[in-house]
Amino acid sequence: MKINTTGWHKYMGLPALLLFATFFLLPFVRGVGLSLTDWNGFSKPTFIGFSNFIAFFSDERALRDVRTTVLFALASAPLLNLVGLALALLLNKGFRGRVVVRGLLYMPAVISPMIMGSIWYLLLQPKRGLFSILLERVNLSSEMNWMLDGNLALLVLVSVNVWQYAGMTMVIYLAGLQAIPSEHYEAASVEGATSTQIFARIVFPQLLPSLKINSITNIIGSLSVFDVILALTDGGPGYDTESLSIYIMRMSWGNRGGYSTAVAMILFFIILVPVLLALLLFRRTEGI
Amino acid sequence: MNNRHRHTQRAPMPWYRAAVLFVISLVAVVPFYLLVLLALKGPTTPLTAIRLIPDWHIVNVAAAWKKSNLGRAIVNSLLMTVGGVAVLVLLASMAGYSIARVKSGLNRIIFSILLLCMMIPGIINTVPLYSLLIRLRGINTYWAMICVMAANALPFSVFLYSSFIRALPNSLEESAVIDGCSYFSAFWYITFPLIGPVTASVVILQGLGMWNNYAQAVFFLQDRAHRNIALAISLFFQQYGADWALMASAASIALIPAMVFFIAFQKYFIEGIIAGALKG
Repeated sequence: MKINTTGWHKYMGLPALLLFATFFLLPFVRGVGLSLTDWNGFSKPTFIGFSNFIAFFSDERALRDVRTTVLFALASAPLLNLVGLALALLLNKGFRGRVVVRGLLYMPAVISPMIMGSIWYLLLQPKRGLFSILLERVNLSSEMNWMLDGNLALLVLVSVNVWQYAGMTMVIYLAGLQAIPSEHYEAASVEGATSTQIFARIVFPQLLPSLKINSITNIIGSLSVFDVILALTDGGPGYDTESLSIYIMRMSWGNRGGYSTAVAMILFFIILVPVLLALLLFRRTEGI
Repeated sequence: MNNRHRHTQRAPMPWYRAAVLFVISLVAVVPFYLLVLLALKGPTTPLTAIRLIPDWHIVNVAAAWKKSNLGRAIVNSLLMTVGGVAVLVLLASMAGYSIARVKSGLNRIIFSILLLCMMIPGIINTVPLYSLLIRLRGINTYWAMICVMAANALPFSVFLYSSFIRALPNSLEESAVIDGCSYFSAFWYITFPLIGPVTASVVILQGLGMWNNYAQAVFFLQDRAHRNIALAISLFFQQYGADWALMASAASIALIPAMVFFIAFQKYFIEGIIAGALKG
């Protein structure tokens, strides 16, 4: 028997919509509703208006988590872009073994950040980490214990994150660089352009799409950072390196489901605002 | 290909560039090497006396394999990744086709919803999703993780498919339709085989994310039988926090599948990342 499939193509988006509505939209909308209740995870939620949101702004731990999350992103996102771009410029000229180097630099990015964080924990822990021990052996170690100092711990987290994902931003920049025809460089140098001018006038405009995708993904990724912190510092010392997404998990496990969904809404806005700003900025730049 | 010829005829690169490249590659590789040193450390070697040549104490790896139940976790990760990618490719490619080819109110709504949700990380939904999955009896099941991970990856994938298909001329589809084929069949027989590079990109990018998933797994997979790799490693580290060689061995085992896969398919990996990032 032959099934008549005429006209089906008009509704081929429906299965996707159904899946998305069930496992994404529904929980999102329900989250908005629950954020206005005192739901503890089991009970019938009672409507309490904006109390959760008001409580958030006098919740010291939550505010410190906002600071941690934003600081992490402010350091991570630009550093990832800078290091990635520098690596891409370094690898842009062809040389023997380039594919190997590119592969080595990209490799950390394919590993789960949970596992990568665990590995760095084994290497970096003061006194017991292999890396610390080796540094001590060549008398490079200082007495700094980053696991007891919140700012140092944050720096270590940023470094590990940049180390893991710089290869990823590099690959995307590299693709942008390789798309520039070599005639453009040649023409510019014939005209007597300096290397700064070449970068500003020829290379940079061509890199805008790469910059855009790298910025947006790194903003979202670093503001919702979760795995690597859990693996490396578990949010410590104290709550010094706890990110908002970890706080959401811990609040929900601490039977404060309603509050945790309110925090999730706040995190949503913390991510939305810079992403929209970045998109606006790119639209303008591209318009010129 | 022309480029390659030109490059090989270039003068050798200056020594300082070679040195920088060497150091950078070292920075990428050394942590993995140190991990192997730790993993293969003999029981009598104190941490402070570790040498730069492995002790080759393979027994650690065998012990870690047994105690961590990583074999089961690898199978679980594989099942959920394959399932998630299959659901994702099926639904996203169909939706992308419909959105690209049929200008209807329904499709416009679907596309706008997905586009708006593209910047929402899954973690935002986890808590209400958890209570939903309890009702659907989806906690500790493969199907729920598959649906959740596929749903989280949908916006980006549909966007990628639709923009690729839009750039594709539809003359082939049209001639198939004139010959009596429906657009639905024309998609499967003509368009879908043509968009292989997008499918490769979706499979690699989103499949990797599913393979490495932790943020959803930690909520929705709680029993031992369903744990994925990242979850198994994190729990193993909590349980055997004192035995560093054992932990390093477990972490090394956990690395191997993704690493081998990457080394074997590096070309497709990088191309997939680039296609996904720049052409979407």
